[in-house]
Amino acid sequence: MADAAVHGHGGHDERGFFTRWFMSTNHKDIGILYLFTSAVVGFISVAFTVYMRMELMEPGVQYMCLEGARFIADASQECTPNGHLWNVMITYHGVLMMFFVVIPALFGGFGNYFMPLHIGAPDMAFPRMNNLSFWLYVAGTSLGVASLLAPGGDGQAGSGIGWVLYPPLSTHESGWSTDLALFAVHVSGASSILGAINMITTFLNMRAPGMTLHKVPLFAWSIFVTAWLILLSLPVLAGAITMLITDRNFGTTFFDPAGGGDPILYQHILWFFGHPEVYIIIVPGFGIISHVIATFSRKPIFGYLPMVYAMVAIGALGFVVWAHHMYTVGMSLTQQSYFMLATMTIAVPTGIKVFSWIATMWGGSVEFKTPMLFAFGFVVLFTIGGVTGIVLSQAPVDRVYHDTYYVVAHFHYVMSIGAAFAIFAGVYFWIGKMSGRQYPEWAGKLHFWAMFIGVNLTFFPQHFLGRQGMPRRYIDYPEAFAYWNHISSMGAFLSFASFLFFIGIVLYTLRYGKRVTENNYWNEWADTLEWTLPSPPPEHTFETLPKQSDWDRGHAH
Amino acid sequence: MPYEWIKGTEGGGELHLWPYRSLPRRGFVFFIGVSCALLAVPLFSMLGSSIVWALLPFMALAIAGVWWALSRSYRDGELIEILTLAPDEVVLVRRAPSGAERRWQANPYWVSVNLYPSRGPVPHYLTLRGNGREVELGAFLTEEERKTLAFELRRALGALKAGPSQDGADPPPGTR
Repeated sequence: MADAAVHGHGGHDERGFFTRWFMSTNHKDIGILYLFTSAVVGFISVAFTVYMRMELMEPGVQYMCLEGARFIADASQECTPNGHLWNVMITYHGVLMMFFVVIPALFGGFGNYFMPLHIGAPDMAFPRMNNLSFWLYVAGTSLGVASLLAPGGDGQAGSGIGWVLYPPLSTHESGWSTDLALFAVHVSGASSILGAINMITTFLNMRAPGMTLHKVPLFAWSIFVTAWLILLSLPVLAGAITMLITDRNFGTTFFDPAGGGDPILYQHILWFFGHPEVYIIIVPGFGIISHVIATFSRKPIFGYLPMVYAMVAIGALGFVVWAHHMYTVGMSLTQQSYFMLATMTIAVPTGIKVFSWIATMWGGSVEFKTPMLFAFGFVVLFTIGGVTGIVLSQAPVDRVYHDTYYVVAHFHYVMSIGAAFAIFAGVYFWIGKMSGRQYPEWAGKLHFWAMFIGVNLTFFPQHFLGRQGMPRRYIDYPEAFAYWNHISSMGAFLSFASFLFFIGIVLYTLRYGKRVTENNYWNEWADTLEWTLPSPPPEHTFETLPKQSDWDRGHAH
Repeated sequence: MPYEWIKGTEGGGELHLWPYRSLPRRGFVFFIGVSCALLAVPLFSMLGSSIVWALLPFMALAIAGVWWALSRSYRDGELIEILTLAPDEVVLVRRAPSGAERRWQANPYWVSVNLYPSRGPVPHYLTLRGNGREVELGAFLTEEERKTLAFELRRALGALKAGPSQDGADPPPGTR
């Protein structure tokens, strides 16, 4: 029998630094760990892009030389193009961004921190498994970086096989760098699956009493949809890379025609994972953007239920459109027609979301604080990326654009700009809540404008390059493409400068930012449960179930 | 409603209390069903090739994992408290997920229902005192539920003390 315990008990935190951050089972601490780790990996990955844009700024090869990689062009020295180094750069930029930056930041970071708060749960369902997920992610990242430095193809370090790891390129790359990369992806997949199982259980079984599925805040919904997508798609990736590992090391021939295998089958299963993967990256962003737009328009989100079901529909459709990434591999006309039509269908739920965001802002008293600027930028630029997606979805048009810079521009508009803007919107929206200190508003705005101009300058000209026929994944290009490449590189440098400035803003805020005293420092339209807590929230929250009146806003639905 | 009166609140009865779980069993079935259906898409499209055997174990692991996690979460919620009210004895049984049982019993005449608005581990902490021991009741319920429950319990105990013959009458003043 539980004997009654009627006396106050002190909740003072006496854990040391090591215990708190290395052995943490607290969802908020783990969320912060995810955010910082992904920021570090993101910096590495962004640094690669700067180096690549330096190389592409002028025709010819000035920096990535076989004689040694340079950071300052030197025309007096001999420079033999080092294609392997270039391939390594694009590979690790892709692998790191896809597996180790965006998912950990949005799903691991914000998801861990805010999803349990939004549903009024005291913590994740399995706090120690949560810790395991995080450290598996760190282990995976370390393997990824190790793979970059390990002996690979062409007698150099690293693998130049592209993030999609297509055989026969990936099965024939020499050295053991590729094996490390495959293990890195495997470990990160295990981490994501454990995280997803944890999130699903928390979301399904630990919602506050009265919080039916049709009353859950949109961000929590977006995390649940993401977790479900991870649960269903990553086992397929795990299978695919396991076969790559055995093909490389144990002489199996799953993807080798010489032994009866089929490399095209790899592309099918890779993209069966890969297409849901791009939704895994962007859907948590949808959740954040919905909250930000509702808050700064001082209106409830327009069409809550359509917003929820649009996310579910996007997730479900993501599983039946995979082959639109591979129109050129020789599918039948019927197959191509199906994948084309199915892909175009995705425009419907996406359109519902975009129009609902616009309708939320419509007639609202819109206030352009930094998070809102990023949300606004997200809606505009994500829509541009979506429109070029419709163009690319058409099998005949894709014949022309396949593997050109048009595709690069398209997926950077939706993923790089989309996901990154969502991350920044989330950081500015919640940094006061998480740290108890507020960022300087002018700095946030400066960051936004520099980044907005920078990314558009980088990626919009790439549409022109693609239309001119410039293929992607090459270190060099003919004179004719020089003009827009030069401008694109300038944009990349501006974006990088804004990213450095952002790091400065975060460090400044954490140390010297103005202290936040209110629970809700925006306005009453920021009405989810985290805004009923102090900033920063205490270590333990909602150990007793929250009252329905704290979160149930009839007006929002 | 994570608590329920099994028999009427007057003249004895039985009260069951359990921690709240937000996923109904139907929801569990639906979730696992849809997951399996979606996983079948790539699996069936690979039928006839050896690749099926590389995908199958990972898919099975994922489904088994989420199945285990949800069942575990239900099991953690299988804590139940059963309070039996009879004219001569009040019995509280608390059955933990492990199956371990703890009992408390007292004469209803001496049982008092206490509600501590702030001093307990949870707001509006509900306890029963009697037989020289104070035990908690429904610490896992929501605050509102505990308040309502305290009121109902006092009425039920009052009716019990007043005797079954006065069914339906107001409890005498002073009985708490």
